[in-house]
Amino acid sequence: MWGRSASFLLDKRLRDQHPSLSSPSSSSPDSTMDPNPNPNHGVSAYYQTRAEHHAIVSSDWLAQAQAAVDREGDTALMEGPHASAAVSLSASKPFSVIDEFNYWRKKPDLAEAVAAIMALAAVIRSCEATTMMELEIELKKASDMLKSWDTTSISLSAGCDLFMRYVTRTSAVEYEDFHAAKLRLIERGEKFGEISMKARRTIAMLGQDFVFDGCTILVHGFSRVVLEVLKLAASNRKLFRIFCTEGRPDKTGLRLSKELAALGVPVKLLIDSAVAYAMDEVDMVFVGADGVVESGGIINMMGTYQTALVAHSMNKPVYVAAESYKFARLYPLDQKDLEPALHPIDFGVPIPSGVEVETSARDYTPPQYLTLLFTDLGVLTPSVVSDELIQLYL
Amino acid sequence: MDPNPKPNHGISAYYQTREEHHAIISGDWLSQAQAAAAAGHPPERPPASAAALSAASKPFSVIDEFNHWRRKPDLAEAVAAIMALVAGIRSSDAATMMELEIELKKASDALKSWDTTSISLSAGCDLFMRYVTRTSALEYEDFHAAKLRLIERGEKFGEISLKARRTIAMLGQDFIFDGCTILVHGFSRVVFEVLQLAASNRKLFRVFCTEGRPDKTGLRLSKELATLGIPVKLLIDSAVAYAMDEVDMVLVGADGVVESGGIINMMGTYQIALVAHSMNKPVYVAAESYKFARLYPLDQKDLEPALRPIEFGVPIPAGVEIEKSARDYTPPQYLTLLFTDLGVLTPSVVSDELIQLYL
Repeated sequence: MWGRSASFLLDKRLRDQHPSLSSPSSSSPDSTMDPNPNPNHGVSAYYQTRAEHHAIVSSDWLAQAQAAVDREGDTALMEGPHASAAVSLSASKPFSVIDEFNYWRKKPDLAEAVAAIMALAAVIRSCEATTMMELEIELKKASDMLKSWDTTSISLSAGCDLFMRYVTRTSAVEYEDFHAAKLRLIERGEKFGEISMKARRTIAMLGQDFVFDGCTILVHGFSRVVLEVLKLAASNRKLFRIFCTEGRPDKTGLRLSKELAALGVPVKLLIDSAVAYAMDEVDMVFVGADGVVESGGIINMMGTYQTALVAHSMNKPVYVAAESYKFARLYPLDQKDLEPALHPIDFGVPIPSGVEVETSARDYTPPQYLTLLFTDLGVLTPSVVSDELIQLYL
Repeated sequence: MDPNPKPNHGISAYYQTREEHHAIISGDWLSQAQAAAAAGHPPERPPASAAALSAASKPFSVIDEFNHWRRKPDLAEAVAAIMALVAGIRSSDAATMMELEIELKKASDALKSWDTTSISLSAGCDLFMRYVTRTSALEYEDFHAAKLRLIERGEKFGEISLKARRTIAMLGQDFIFDGCTILVHGFSRVVFEVLQLAASNRKLFRVFCTEGRPDKTGLRLSKELATLGIPVKLLIDSAVAYAMDEVDMVLVGADGVVESGGIINMMGTYQIALVAHSMNKPVYVAAESYKFARLYPLDQKDLEPALRPIEFGVPIPAGVEIEKSARDYTPPQYLTLLFTDLGVLTPSVVSDELIQLYL
């Protein structure tokens, strides 16, 4: 079973692609910071990870993850690779935030931002600074490294920023003793990690209230938050049915329909072109988000904007399920105003030469097409998002 | 009456035919067809010798004739039906006008029941019937002269229909200006001819093709356009709204034009027209006049169901349904203009034209 786990698959892929990466390069002093082992700039690493997660996320995985989260003290999950290995390896292998991040990232139930938060919490724990200023500088360096690892991931950079602000809100002058201050920071860091991991359950409880008996829900993309909302609604014995869009080219609809069929929820698969055709019968649209921007709009898988536009023209509500660490300080003015995040599209036949392909993985949905956002801060309207952002980032 | 030899009620025969056509249509085919139509050669008929050989053993079958014409990829299905009906008149044994009309009606019904999902087929048959029987029988005392006149009118109708595409191409390419971006959905031979004519008139434009799941129409169309030297960009169906900012106009074909002025076309057309309308982009439809049908759908499900299988590449989990409809209905408020061989029409004018056609 280990052979099919996410970490094994990822490592195998890395080894196949970069056999020379077994030893870190030493061409320059800056390379002590591990570069992204997948510097494939044509393909967004964020969407590569999601694709790998999609391949193996299943109800069992999620149930195990939830059980692990519920366990007393959460100590088992909070330990990073360095807790046990610290004794044996501390001499030979310096602490690397990227390694820590990769360790957490490979768990399919953890969002990328949460993995980053765990990694940063571990940075504080293993930091050797003796003053507050030094600690903050180290934290900032680690945060920048994580952000540069994948510049296309909005939740990653937003998560890092929010963690930095949350953690350093402690006034340093309160504690004369540096070690007490450091302990306090570690405590706050771990608390933030916990909140982030439980965010999905909070959202599920809020969101499943909106699912009523006999309703039809249209879902686009494969969001773990949305899946949890639907799972909770199904376990509360609500009767509803789901329309899944096919989700080219990631096949998200097929994976989601498999999960939902296992829960006993009636599912219907639509090709992406059939959304307007089926929109008459739909009561509400549920999507996740890769990022929530200052205007209250969202950035999500390609096709979300189109679905929201069609739903809005037919007066169907569009609900977004997004954790609060996805709130980012961005304000896109149009579709192309985002960092390009590309992913390859397989058409099944060779593309004729001279033909371009639009390979962007995501689009921006303006706030006027969204009805409500379910977040762990509560159920918000898009106009309230900017207020919340100010409070988060103050 | 020969029933449809492939009575697979799960799959619309009309879309099966289109699928076969898509596989072999290319720019060369179409230019050959154009050349043939321009040269005025009547399309080849099945050799008369074969008729003599098999006349005893095999009675004339309008379905066989129809199948013979239908397989030519440059012929629209309605035109094939018209050819088959003309052949029906030619080989009829009737001695009076009434008998001939009854035979024609029977043949027309046989064709229509062969595929109940094809709108242009039944519209074409109806229009042919009306066009042909508009000849007053009283003018000719001699039955054979009347029959010859009918055959002549029938062949003329077939010719008009074959040339319809060229008329539409000439009208449509006027709307393409230098530097414009056109979004195309589906693989319509009429639309392809419009673009081909515009390209040969040295207009500079680029085309966005939607992928056209599951028929892969976008891939086939992009291959054809690339050989014409037109810059093409392929979009997945989800990316239409994303790319709509850069688009100047949307161009689609139609499987049928209904009384309200709306169109029935490949699944996805309604969605694209809706998105284009919300962003104030014009939607142009290229449709021949024999596609005008006496239908008035009130919503998406008010059509004869036309299903076709969808290949997802992986097995579908048990208990999961699939929406297999091949087409949707686009209401007239989302359409800007229709290019037809009767001229460039607005959707509201379509019902007037229909009345004139069917009077």
